[in-house]
Amino acid sequence: MSLPLPLVAAVAVLGLLGVGLLGLLVTRNLIKAVVAMQVLVKGALLALVLAGRLSGQVQTGQTMALTVIVADTIVSVVALALAVQVRRQFGTLDLQALSTLRR
Amino acid sequence: MPNIETLALLSIGLPWAGALLVWLVQDRKPPLQHALAVIFALAGAAAAIAMIPLKTDVNVLHFPLGSAFGLVTFLPDGLAVFLAVVATTIGSLAVIFSVDYMRGERQLGRYYAYVLFFIGSMVGLVLSSNLLLIFVFWEITALCSYALISFYNDDPKAVSAGIKALIITQVGGIGLLAGALFLYAYQGNYDVPTFLAGAARLPPNVLALMAFGFLIAAAAKSAQFPFQTWLPDAMEAPTPVSALIHAATMVNAGVYLLARFYPAFEAVPNWKLAVVAVGAITALMAAVMAIVSNDLKRVLAYSTVSQLGYMVYAIGTGGIFASQFHLLSHAVFKALLFLSAGAVIHAVHTRDMREMGGLGKQMPLVKVVMIIGGLALAGIPVLNGFWSKELVLEAGHEGGPLWAWLFMLVGAGLTALYTLRFLSMVFYGEPRGGPHVHDAGPAMKIALVPLALGTLTTWLLAGSFGHFLGSALPEGHEVLGTAALLTRIATAPATFVALAVVALGLAAWWQRSKLAGVAHALRGVGKMASQSFGFEALNRGVVRLTVASAESLRTTHNGVLNWNVMAILVGLVVVLAILALGGA
Repeated sequence: MSLPLPLVAAVAVLGLLGVGLLGLLVTRNLIKAVVAMQVLVKGALLALVLAGRLSGQVQTGQTMALTVIVADTIVSVVALALAVQVRRQFGTLDLQALSTLRR
Repeated sequence: MPNIETLALLSIGLPWAGALLVWLVQDRKPPLQHALAVIFALAGAAAAIAMIPLKTDVNVLHFPLGSAFGLVTFLPDGLAVFLAVVATTIGSLAVIFSVDYMRGERQLGRYYAYVLFFIGSMVGLVLSSNLLLIFVFWEITALCSYALISFYNDDPKAVSAGIKALIITQVGGIGLLAGALFLYAYQGNYDVPTFLAGAARLPPNVLALMAFGFLIAAAAKSAQFPFQTWLPDAMEAPTPVSALIHAATMVNAGVYLLARFYPAFEAVPNWKLAVVAVGAITALMAAVMAIVSNDLKRVLAYSTVSQLGYMVYAIGTGGIFASQFHLLSHAVFKALLFLSAGAVIHAVHTRDMREMGGLGKQMPLVKVVMIIGGLALAGIPVLNGFWSKELVLEAGHEGGPLWAWLFMLVGAGLTALYTLRFLSMVFYGEPRGGPHVHDAGPAMKIALVPLALGTLTTWLLAGSFGHFLGSALPEGHEVLGTAALLTRIATAPATFVALAVVALGLAAWWQRSKLAGVAHALRGVGKMASQSFGFEALNRGVVRLTVASAESLRTTHNGVLNWNVMAILVGLVVVLAILALGGA
């Protein structure tokens, strides 16, 4: 018995989104937060491709996925570069320690 | 001869282009900045005036902006072209006046850029016939007024006055935006002429929501009750800006909005009564506040609020023509008053009238023109303010409730009283200021003289003005020639009653020493008026409440990533739950 492809993809989307959100929810490390966000975005990518296939607009879905890949790469590069600077400036990557908002 | 579309675009675009250029020149060459600002303001005015013979009652310029925003369309009918001409010509005179007033100030680029941007946006606001576009221009004028009121941004009073103006006009903007979205929801586009032609197609409750939303928007913009507090504080701005806000641009927008949409909202139950009440309460209350103020510019600000009350009142009683005619007169004489007040303030370096006095000898021209403007404000025949105010009172006598008419009559008497008070405090009596008074500069005089001539003559345009507004007036409005109209005003019984009240106001100032007992008895009212009848306290209360609630919610804004992700997840769950329940 073989599972239908859209079902597999949908489960994968939910899994990736769940793992990404869980990571963002529990981590206090800036690098780990960037990694978790990557996982989250990959879930969104898969969702776009899946939605394109299900709605019959395969090209639109894949085009948007490509756009997201480009944007997402830039975001992660900038985020990691900032993380390096943060580590040099403040000596820590702990997000709670970095927050300067008054509590 | 360029066509009307080009002219409409030019009268918006030229001031905007000027704004950009003045800004790009930077602040190294002030003479060039002055010259550029004057040239582009005048060019914009020329374009607006050239639209007069070409006015039309159909939309021009269909420029698509995509399905959600509809078409960019302009409706250069009589009403719109009239207000565009007022904004650009009075605006240009304020710019010319600024050449002397702002000489030697720093950051001229910022000043002129915002002034020109303001003028262009006001033209855009009145010419647009796409309600969403009207909203956009509406907000741009709010932004410009904020930036100009806070122009002296090292003065905390100016900054807080600017923020106050911005917040209050934003509250009104919400009413306008809601109206625009309702229109889109029920009509499928933002087209104003379509809406005006068939407003009855909308469900009555939606129409009522729109009508009262627009009333709030207009009241906030035109500083009407209960939003009047921002305008007197706006006096922290440089005086030409005050003239611009009060006569040419900002405050006229609210009156324009009500006049434009009157045909659609006329039938909404209680809407006209609400408009009348707002206008009448504002006119009387602001007149009382003007009597007790000692700051020359604040007196003028309260008088603006009061005169705007007259226009709003006229609209509520169905006198669209009367309101627009008063707007014309008021724009001319109030610009004159503000600019001459600016010349006085520039000369004596104070706004406190108790430190002025006896200035007539040093500045004869300013004295003459300011008295002309003051008498027009007081409604003395035969100046333009007399004719238009009588027209407003006549419209109110015919179409409005009696109590409101009595409010307006008392307001007219008080107007005469405070006008005489400030004129005599500034120009007569013993000189109380220092000896360093210098007369107005040439550019100031160039700006003042045309306004004084206008104050003396614009009433002669009454008939042609009625023809010009034409189709913008509600159906059944009787368009009369100048002579017939003036005869009707001059022979109406209401006119004589009003004149008697004005004379009473003048006499009260003349005999003020004998009326000391009355003044003493009313000092409680005066004290309340000088505290703006508790509205300032109300504002402070709202501010305190906002700050307190923000402080108490501080713990939720702790900047911790995990908390924020948690909030996003909870929000997602709530949205999904609502969708699931709503779909079931």
